[in-house]
Amino acid sequence: MNLKRKGREGEGLTLLERNPQIVWRNEKRREEKVLQGLEAGEDVAEHGTVILMISGMMHQLNLLGGMIWNLCDGSRDEEQIVDELLKEFAVERELLAEDVADFIQDLLKRDWLTYG
Amino acid sequence: MADAITEQFSAPLTFNWTLSYQCNFVCSHCYSRDEVAEELPTEKIKQIVDLLVKQQVPFINFGGGEPLIRKDLLEVTRYASDQGLNVSMNSNGWLLDHATAQQIKAAGFKSVGISIDSADGASHDDFRNKNGSFARATAALDALHAVGVKTTMSSVISRFNFKDFHALLDLARKHQVTQVYLHNFKCSGRGFKNREDLDLTPQEWKDFYVEALQVKNDTDDLLISFDDPVIASLPGYEENPLVKGSSCGKLSLHLRPNGDITPCGFIPLVVGNILTDDFEELWYNSPVLNHMRNKEAKGKCQGCGVYQDCLGGCTARAFATTGDLSEPDPHCWK
Ligand SMILES: C[S@@+](CC[C@H](N)C(=O)[O-])C[C@H]1O[C@@H](n2cnc3c(N)ncnc32)[C@H](O)[C@@H]1O
Ligand code: SF4
Ligand code: SF4
Repeated sequence: MNLKRKGREGEGLTLLERNPQIVWRNEKRREEKVLQGLEAGEDVAEHGTVILMISGMMHQLNLLGGMIWNLCDGSRDEEQIVDELLKEFAVERELLAEDVADFIQDLLKRDWLTYG
Repeated sequence: MADAITEQFSAPLTFNWTLSYQCNFVCSHCYSRDEVAEELPTEKIKQIVDLLVKQQVPFINFGGGEPLIRKDLLEVTRYASDQGLNVSMNSNGWLLDHATAQQIKAAGFKSVGISIDSADGASHDDFRNKNGSFARATAALDALHAVGVKTTMSSVISRFNFKDFHALLDLARKHQVTQVYLHNFKCSGRGFKNREDLDLTPQEWKDFYVEALQVKNDTDDLLISFDDPVIASLPGYEENPLVKGSSCGKLSLHLRPNGDITPCGFIPLVVGNILTDDFEELWYNSPVLNHMRNKEAKGKCQGCGVYQDCLGGCTARAFATTGDLSEPDPHCWK
């Protein structure tokens, strides 16, 4: 299911927005540690840097997920989010775009993100 | 969980905040009713709110005492919610009529929990030593619902109601409550004095939870929550995957009326004062908090197959009965 296309064609909406019902927090210290780990070549994919509280349950987003989450403030579409992330990560655009698309699709399905 | 709590969390998610120990009730089970502490003036309370905002604490829950007795409760709530804090409270409902419900809504409360310990009015009044309290508590739920404030219901499970929890759930449905907390009884304060009459045996706790977990998993029109780590060994349990054992001192802290911080309302160990001590220093380095976060198995917990999930059960109960944070929870049936 391509929700992004659906949003575009259906309502012309492309800007990604966090569900305002979700309470969340950046874990700054944690993020610093994870960034250090990343530089040292460690696998940090499982380490949460953003926590979300949803219906009494807690969820964590890893570094990339957390960055995407922070960027979904209603001012950017998916492409622009990839643009922003490319400033931080030295990876091929295509690869990054794929990861970003997967992540966003997943969160759209969960209603944690919407097109605004 | 490989990472230490403070590596994951730079501050608790919730502050349970007692603004005052004053109360218009004298419930037989109450952990806090006999406590006294100096209270802070409004501007100091606002200073604390600023600090919580700075530390990115997302939730505060006012308890007590009866929060509605503090005249500045609504003002403080408005101040906190204006800064993005999610504010809730627990109340016995006595002072909560329709007009107050409207003010509560206007102050920005995200939800309000009303304590109801029996679906039978006379029994509730008896348990809470207050005639007419059931009628007022249910009216409070209705008034809040009518003005559009989300309601929850808190019921402390004890000898007096453990066989009737189904009726409590039906009562919650009748009053359009979104979530029911079936709180486990803590032998603190008056609850400690009256524990012979109120506490269940470990086997009774087990039987209660086996049934209640089943009901919880079969229920989809009402959220049912327990906050009892000792149930980690039971089938069907899967709450709070990020933190094992008691969440006090890890996900939550408690504030006393004078700004003293304790791990939770049930553990009377002061780790410092939020107004006079450096919060980060306390959060990262308090020996009490770190002890609670890194408990070591003692007694029968040593060699217990579920220790990794249960971590000795409720730290407050262990402390209240043995004076040692690491002893096994006295409710444990293993
Ligand atoms: C201390 S009261 C304060 C708020 C308000 N006065 C009320 O009764 O809801 C907060 C909650 O703690 C519960 N409580 C009191 N004593 C307890 C105990 N010994 N063990 C577990 N919960 C307890 C109360 O029933 C109530 O739901
Ligand atoms: S449980 Fe609440 S209402 Fe009852 S005595 Fe304690 S603080 Fe007061
Ligand atoms: S023995 Fe200890 S770890 Fe095992 S279930 Fe009981 S309290 Fe929990």
